[in-house]
Amino acid sequence: MKQFNTEKTAAKSYSTKLLARRWLTEKIFELELTRPSSFQFAPGQRIRFCHETMQRDYSLLTTPSDSTLALCVFNVEKGQFSPVLTAAEIGRKFSFTGPYGYFTYRPSERPAVFVATGTGIAPFLSISRSGVTEFTLLHGVRTAADLHYQDFFRRTARLYVPCLSASPDQAGAIENGFGGRVTRYLKAYFPPGTYDFYLCGRQEMIRDVTLLVDEQFPGSLVYTETFY
Amino acid sequence: MKIYTGGGDCGKTSLFSGERVNKSDLRVEAYGDVDELNSLLGALVAFLPSGQATLSGEIQRIQSDLLHVGAWLAVTPGSPASSELQSITQDHSKGLETAIDQLEQELPALKDFLLPGGHVSAAWAHVARAVCRRAERHVVRLLAGTDEDEASLQLQGVIMYLNRLSDYLFVLARYCNKIQGQSDRLWRK
Repeated sequence: MKQFNTEKTAAKSYSTKLLARRWLTEKIFELELTRPSSFQFAPGQRIRFCHETMQRDYSLLTTPSDSTLALCVFNVEKGQFSPVLTAAEIGRKFSFTGPYGYFTYRPSERPAVFVATGTGIAPFLSISRSGVTEFTLLHGVRTAADLHYQDFFRRTARLYVPCLSASPDQAGAIENGFGGRVTRYLKAYFPPGTYDFYLCGRQEMIRDVTLLVDEQFPGSLVYTETFY
Repeated sequence: MKIYTGGGDCGKTSLFSGERVNKSDLRVEAYGDVDELNSLLGALVAFLPSGQATLSGEIQRIQSDLLHVGAWLAVTPGSPASSELQSITQDHSKGLETAIDQLEQELPALKDFLLPGGHVSAAWAHVARAVCRRAERHVVRLLAGTDEDEASLQLQGVIMYLNRLSDYLFVLARYCNKIQGQSDRLWRK
C-alpha cells in the first residue's frame, strides 16, 4: 500500500467556491467546493476555512485525485462558524489555507483500527476512498440516524462497528451494532493484540482510548486528530 | 481550543511515530531538551535591542529548524512517519558556520575562558548553549542504540547541527554583550 506523503504539501492560501450542500442528518451536512488547481493534499489532512476574523479546521472527505473538495460540517446552532456555512448561498466564495496535519495512513504489519466519533469520521473517508481497505472502523455516534457513510464503510472496511451511545436499544437492529461508547466496545470485546490505532473525534474519546491502549493493548501505536 | 488532552496523565506519551512510551524515555528526554533550548532562544530574542531584526530573524529560523530536529527525535527508526519529516542536513550546519563567521567578524579575538553572563540576552544565550550541549549528549546516546542506517544518518545530522549550534550560541552570547556595550568577562584563575 502506497504511503500518503505530507512532506511536499506546504500550507498556502487559496480561494474556493461553494458548489453544493447535502444534508446527511438533521445537524450534519456535506459541503462540496471547487478545488484550486494548485492545491495538493494527502488523504487525512485538513484545511483551515476562513471567514472574517474566524478560522475553523475541517478534514477533507475527498481524495487527491478528485476534481472537487468536500467537508463534513456539524451545525452548532449557537456556534459562530458553522451557521455561516449552513446559510451560505451556492456560489459563494471562501478562502482557506492548508493543507495541515499528519493524520495520514501509515502502512504496517499491525492491523489498523480507525476510531471516530461524530464528524471525526471525515479523514477516514478520504483515506479509505484513496484505496485503504484493510481496517476495522469503530464509529461512535449518539443515534442510528447519525450513521452517515455507513453504506460506504460496510463495503470497504474489514469490520465496521457502529457504536450508539445515546440509543443502545437501536443497536440490535443494525448489523454489528453496539449499544454504548467506542471505549466500552474496545474494553469488552476487542481481541488482545498490538494494533495501529487512528483516533479522530472528541477529546474525551481520544483520552479514554489512549489510556485504554496503554492498559489493554500494550505495544500498539496511537495516531490522533482532535475535533473540538 | 483546549490544550490539554489527558492522554499523558499516567506518565506515558505518544511519539510522532505513534508509539506509546514512558515520559522518562531517552527519546523524550532528547526532544524535551530541544524544546527547552527552543524556549530559551525565544527568551533571548525577547531581550534583543531594537534594530536587530536580522539577528532576530536568524534566531527564529534556528527555532524553526529545532522543531524539525524535535520531530526527528520523536520518530523511532524505520517508522513510515520519517518520510514526512524534513531532513537535517549538512547544509543546516553549514548555514550555522556562515552565521558564526559573520558574528565573529564583529568581535575581538578571544584568548581566554569566559565567565558566562553579562547582559541578560547574553546570559540567556549561555544557558541555551548549555542546554544545547545536554541535548547533544542525549542524541549521542540515542545514536548508540540505533542500528537502522537511515535513522543513524539522520541522528548524525542532528548531532552535527547541535554541535555547531552550541558554537553559534557561544559566539552569539559574546555578540549580545557587544551590542549592549558590555565587555567579555574573562576568567581570572
